[in-house]
Amino acid sequence: MSLTTDKAGAAAKESADSIVNFRPAYLAMAALGTFYVGIRIYEQYFGWKAGLDSFAPEFQTYWLNIMWTELPLEFIAFCAIGGYLWKTRDRNINAVAPREEMRRLITLIGWLLVYAFTVYWGASYFTEQDGTWHQTVIRDTDFTPSHILEFYLSYPIYIIAGWGAFMYGRTRIPQFANRISLAFLLFFAGPFMIFPNVGLNEWGHTFWFMEELFTAPLHWGFVFFGWFGLAMFGTVLQILHRVIELSKEFEKDILAI
Amino acid sequence: MSLSNETVPAAGKAWASKEEFIGCVKLTDWILLLILFLVLLGSFHIHYMLLAGDWDFWIDFKDRRMWPTVAPIVAMCFAAAAQSFFWQKFRLPFGATVAVFALLVGEWINRYDNFWGWTFFPINLVFPSALIPMGFWLDIVLLLSGSWTVTAVVGAMGWGLLFYPSNWPVLAQFHQATEVDGVLLTLADLIGFNYVRTGTPEYIRMIERGTLRTFGKDVVPVAAFFSGFVSMLVYFLWWKVGGWFSTTAYIDNEDV
Repeated sequence: MSLTTDKAGAAAKESADSIVNFRPAYLAMAALGTFYVGIRIYEQYFGWKAGLDSFAPEFQTYWLNIMWTELPLEFIAFCAIGGYLWKTRDRNINAVAPREEMRRLITLIGWLLVYAFTVYWGASYFTEQDGTWHQTVIRDTDFTPSHILEFYLSYPIYIIAGWGAFMYGRTRIPQFANRISLAFLLFFAGPFMIFPNVGLNEWGHTFWFMEELFTAPLHWGFVFFGWFGLAMFGTVLQILHRVIELSKEFEKDILAI
Repeated sequence: MSLSNETVPAAGKAWASKEEFIGCVKLTDWILLLILFLVLLGSFHIHYMLLAGDWDFWIDFKDRRMWPTVAPIVAMCFAAAAQSFFWQKFRLPFGATVAVFALLVGEWINRYDNFWGWTFFPINLVFPSALIPMGFWLDIVLLLSGSWTVTAVVGAMGWGLLFYPSNWPVLAQFHQATEVDGVLLTLADLIGFNYVRTGTPEYIRMIERGTLRTFGKDVVPVAAFFSGFVSMLVYFLWWKVGGWFSTTAYIDNEDV
């Protein structure tokens, strides 16, 4: 075997054995970021041009068609991600070697990074953006341009990302497969409360013709689901706890960093 | 060079070498901090905008009683929870500052890109309140005292009292008097009249607007002290909430 081939083979071997690979998470974030910037540009143009009157034909073309497209796609993505992770689960979860377990823990951190990224866009960016829209344009429907991208796009995306992270841990990492982490459960399930809350919110606005005070009690349910983001504290602690258990041999080295 | 198994760990070992371990720990620590920051940002932002939002969105909405009372009280929730986590689990004294910094990052991005960039409100109408000095104060009290109780009493009172003076320098310019069609207004009033929001209820628009005219007089310290007292209670409660969300408990599969 030539020296070149040896080197290539060694590099391939080392790469294959690499324990850290955040590349899929970075790629997912880049794709999501590009997508969100794209729809923000779309909003800039078609929000004003075709989003002011829900009775206008162009509203149907430029906005409602997005909603009727995104909702089934999100449902399919939710089922597909959960189904794939479950179908390909580790059926001998208690025999996972420590190195493989560590690799999976780091992959889970990658999932959580993507989840955190989507939480930012949904809970921060598009939510306050909805405030700017309502303060500017009279509310004429539950499906305003900002809602179509907030409630029905960015929120489902972060629910899907959290669901993926939870299912990854549930199907591949012994500590999350053998028992259910209370913190992780709260962390990913909290946002599900968005759905009943969106229903209440839209029903209330329509029924009572409420003005768009953001601090109105009708909106406080969203605050409640936001609190569940704090359950990342427990989730992170559980991951770190297991990393420490798997790294006992380097305890002195890490203290020296 | 042969294809050795040197990089493959022995059975039962997670790491191939000390270098691999240290490199990975450093990288994943940063990524975990980024995750904590982004989630704090999102969850704190939705909490704050739906509990203090209107009082914080608009310069002419910053009522001399409501704004300095409500804003510190609701901001205290996440600051206390973050302190609880970072201090109890890691002895890191920056929970409150990180939390308010995260919130302000989200708010500034939004004020520029959406309030100003999409719906065209002037940025000096919609800038967010300054909270960083309050975060510093709360963290410093915790660091020096090492006590949850002292931080709740001294830190939370200071948190409430610091809010208005922290924001006064940027608000001061809006007290400038101006005359429009024979009516004496502040600049804040004038901005509010020229940029009418559909979401502003009439009673607030017509009756409570223009409170900057008396802003800074005797009402503010009373509001700030009240805010400090309530912030103490909120601090006690949300320190525990932060602790509860830091749970590492598991549920047995059979119990679900």
